[in-house]
Amino acid sequence: MNRLANFYNEREHYLLGGGFILLLVLAWETLPRLVTLPRGLTLFFTTPTRVVEAFYQLLVENKIQHHFYVSSIEFLFGLSLAIAVGLPLGLIAGRSKIIDAMVDPYVTVFNATPRLIFLPLFILWFGIGMWSKVMIVFIGAVFPLLINTQEGVKNVDQVLVNVVRSFGANEWQVMRTVVLPNSVPYIVAGLRLAIGRAVLGVVVGEFFGASEGLGYMIASAATNYKVDVVFVGVAIFMGLSLALTLWVKKLESHLSRWRPEETKTF
Amino acid sequence: MELRAFYQEHYRAILGTTSVLTLIVMWELLLTFVIPLNPFFFTKPSLIAVAFKEQVIHGALWSDLVVSSRAFLWGFSLAILFGIPTGAFMGWRRRAEYTLDPFLTALYASPLVALAPLMIVVFGVGLLAKAMLVFLLSVFPFIFNTFAGVRSTDRLLINVVRSFGGKERDLYLKVIFPSTLPYIAAGARIALGRGLVGIIVGEFYAASEGIGFAISRFGDTYKLPEMFAGILVLMIGAVVMTEGMRKLEAFLAPWKTSQQSR
Repeated sequence: MNRLANFYNEREHYLLGGGFILLLVLAWETLPRLVTLPRGLTLFFTTPTRVVEAFYQLLVENKIQHHFYVSSIEFLFGLSLAIAVGLPLGLIAGRSKIIDAMVDPYVTVFNATPRLIFLPLFILWFGIGMWSKVMIVFIGAVFPLLINTQEGVKNVDQVLVNVVRSFGANEWQVMRTVVLPNSVPYIVAGLRLAIGRAVLGVVVGEFFGASEGLGYMIASAATNYKVDVVFVGVAIFMGLSLALTLWVKKLESHLSRWRPEETKTF
Repeated sequence: MELRAFYQEHYRAILGTTSVLTLIVMWELLLTFVIPLNPFFFTKPSLIAVAFKEQVIHGALWSDLVVSSRAFLWGFSLAILFGIPTGAFMGWRRRAEYTLDPFLTALYASPLVALAPLMIVVFGVGLLAKAMLVFLLSVFPFIFNTFAGVRSTDRLLINVVRSFGGKERDLYLKVIFPSTLPYIAAGARIALGRGLVGIIVGEFYAASEGIGFAISRFGDTYKLPEMFAGILVLMIGAVVMTEGMRKLEAFLAPWKTSQQSR
């Protein structure tokens, strides 16, 4: 008994957290077996086993691979574009007060506005194909990257900059040796936010005026009352987001491993 | 000399205004004189201004705004009512934190907006589905920020209140609540953005009224000036609300210049 208590006390954190999730899934699974749901509700109801079955079915019939591929391409293109634009712009705006002041109104306004509002416009401009989604991913992801990069550059240790300058470094060398390494944690934090926005952009972008992609799969399944397929899509997005978030966290600790322990988390 | 001092003091505002004005003027001039305007593809500021006047000042867009705000307020209030107690509970009780944290973190990290089509199918195209969507998206910042606020309450202050014979009630009212409030305000700012996403997606997806619906309808009918006017209205609203929240944060916690939040 004592050993059991010890076992529990040592792992209480994980046991409670994992147990709760397990309990919820079990409750979800057994609910329709214990009580008969009203007829209207059974239409919208599914169980975890049915979701897994639907996922397996979609995999076997090769129906999901293409959607997954399309969504990934849109995600990667949009995010790469956001990095390619947001990072340099953030570096420049962080180093120059004048450019910072000139960019600031746009950044403030666009950051406060949910950029999904541009979706109808982008569909009009770029069509209902891939590019309107790439652009909505881009515009969603670029601002967190820009803002965080800029913040990182601004918070650079001025003493270090002065030291490098005294040794005759030009702006490019200052950037490379001091500014960039110092802003890495900020940039990675921005990347984490940007990934969240990018996934949001992919999902919502594919809800409207699309004919392929996971978001389209979810939307068309919902209109056909295929609730299990909806949850397959939602589960994939959940899994991807969690995996990407964990990956970025890993990246963050990897890139800042040379840092003293107390400054690692900011 | 005075001019230079004035510039030094207000250079941010001056440069910001200049860059915005330059963009607008360039946009107008380019499309008036250089590039022939294709009204099905693009528009220019003067046309947007006319549409804005018609839609906003003469009030064609107001009923849409009212519809959207109503759904937003329902969802947002529900998120406050549910999120703050849940977060506080997690902050007070260690076991509650252990139990709920992994589950809620997983939900917070995942794009719950993917559930939008299902919610609309289940709850209908009216206010309920949109309010539920707003609730679902905006409840998590309230939970996690309240949680962080309660957890970061200064132990010393609690001990002081206890040593001076304060009751449990004093503890909550005099220490925990005031020290959590700025965190909640910071959470509200994040929740605001997510709630707006909920409204927009809900109205894009299936609605017959509301600002998101109006914008997508203008897009579908190639009324570009009206569409830009709608986007402008939404932008103004979002900026006013976000900056308002920021001011509130600064007012509630003047000792914190910037807020760390999840």
